Amino acid sequence: MMLSALYQSILEGDLEAAIANVNQALEAGEDPGVILNEGMIAAMAEVGRRYEAEEYFIPEMLVAARAMKESLAILKPHLVERNVEPVGTIVMGTVKGDLHDIGKNLVSMMLEGAGFEVVDLGTDVPAVRFVSAVREIEPHFLGISALLTTTMLGIETVITGLEEAGLRDRVRIMVGGAPVTEEFASKIGADLYAPDAATAAKRATALLDTA
Amino acid sequence: MKHRDRVLIALNHEEPDRCPLQISFTPEFVTRLKHDLDIDDEEMHNPHGGGNTYVIERKLGQDMLLTSVGWANSYYASETYGEDGRSYVDEWGVVWKSVGYETRFGPGQYTEIVGHPLDSDDAIDSYIAPDPHRPELYEEAARVIREFKDEYWIVGVTVTTVFETAWALQGYEKTLADFVLNLDLIDRLLEIPFTYHLEAAKKLTDMGVDMIWIGDDVGAQDRMIISPKTWRRFLKPRMETFISALKRINPSLLIAYHSDGNISPIIPDLIEIGLDVLNPIQPKSMDPSQIKKLYGDHLSFWGSIDEQYTLPFGSPEDVKQEVVTRLKTIGDGGGLIIGPTHNVQLDTPLDNFWAMINTVLETPYDSI
Repeated sequence: MMLSALYQSILEGDLEAAIANVNQALEAGEDPGVILNEGMIAAMAEVGRRYEAEEYFIPEMLVAARAMKESLAILKPHLVERNVEPVGTIVMGTVKGDLHDIGKNLVSMMLEGAGFEVVDLGTDVPAVRFVSAVREIEPHFLGISALLTTTMLGIETVITGLEEAGLRDRVRIMVGGAPVTEEFASKIGADLYAPDAATAAKRATALLDTA
Repeated sequence: MKHRDRVLIALNHEEPDRCPLQISFTPEFVTRLKHDLDIDDEEMHNPHGGGNTYVIERKLGQDMLLTSVGWANSYYASETYGEDGRSYVDEWGVVWKSVGYETRFGPGQYTEIVGHPLDSDDAIDSYIAPDPHRPELYEEAARVIREFKDEYWIVGVTVTTVFETAWALQGYEKTLADFVLNLDLIDRLLEIPFTYHLEAAKKLTDMGVDMIWIGDDVGAQDRMIISPKTWRRFLKPRMETFISALKRINPSLLIAYHSDGNISPIIPDLIEIGLDVLNPIQPKSMDPSQIKKLYGDHLSFWGSIDEQYTLPFGSPEDVKQEVVTRLKTIGDGGGLIIGPTHNVQLDTPLDNFWAMINTVLETPYDSI
């Protein structure tokens, strides 16, 4: 079955096979929404499960996520054409003064793998830019990452900026990064904290259902 | 008691007069410390030992002095700054940028890697690594051994031994992906820093260091970054070759291994390949008491004072309690060189720093 080949190639991080499989599935007339759900989202959910079970580590999760990302890019125009909506939108970025992005990149890919549309602002993002992105894009979530204890306080600056712009209650804030803890997240009034990309995708999805 | 004897006794799993101490610092913290101690010494402190004068270490009562050869020295190679005064390219081709940070005790700089010489697959074909045989690389170590070996335990440092230098050369994401997708390339890549650091470590061993410190950050906060299986396939054999080559030169040489985070699955492997000392035992990732219970018969430990919370954010009393707890658990019966798990950062209050030092220096083992 074509979708199980796509599922498998994503699970194994085989980028070339994933691209070939998604093209084949489209040519065979498979419904794009079904390709997304059964071939990709299901595969990424399994990736997440394996990561949590300590069967997959960062390398395995990373290559699977990349295979999914590239094959999703091929699928996307077809999803748009069929009005298949993402499950939610999330804006992501690393705070001002912080150049680190591998965690953010992994979370972005895992969220895409869970059906989200991700807008990645990159690294070293000033608070004002986070705020204007929330204003323009109106995402369900804003994901903010910091790797250093010295930059982590910048997350709070973003939240304050959103409050001052009257936007705080229009978006759910997800935070993460090496120095960030559950306690810090709740202290600054974030809505969601995740210690890793797999958990982030799981928790964001769960929270979406309670919208 | 001589500093070096204190270390030797502890690493022999016996209790010396007090627990041996070793602390590394960021340059900014040293500046603040020197100011606090009224020491007038302008040389920038390199946490990896290159170019520093050890005035601070010795004044604080530390028992081990570090001298470093290898890629890790690039972290603070400020003398090589380019025209903009903020970025430089090290001799391996890795591009660095200085990024400022603010703390409640003032500003500082971290150096971040922003460019990689081997970021495309075929770049490795024409890559020439620096030469580890250059005599000038070892002048520093020669001086340290000559001036201080009589009193202090001397550690030759060749950390970032394989994996870290490898990802600095190739890029972090690419290297992690290649561990799954391009195993041949990974093997070729890892050989580059492995060969260099092995040569350097052999030379340092020959010159008479007491211990060689190797390692790579393969652990994250709660689990390994690469799987234990991957580590066993690519890093374990190289570490085994490394350790046995050095112990052939000097059978009394001790080996210390560094990794941040939680590496508990591979500790038995490290013991198997001849490791003597495990560093730094990041306490929020691996429980020091647990580690001692499981491996204290086979390993000594170096580090264990928490940098994620206690030192920067705890009270001086918290710091004192943590030191005493460590002495009673991971340091029970010796087998511990105590100190912060990582370079002391500028956000550490001096009161906390002195609480740590004073508690170590003033707590004899027989008072516990």
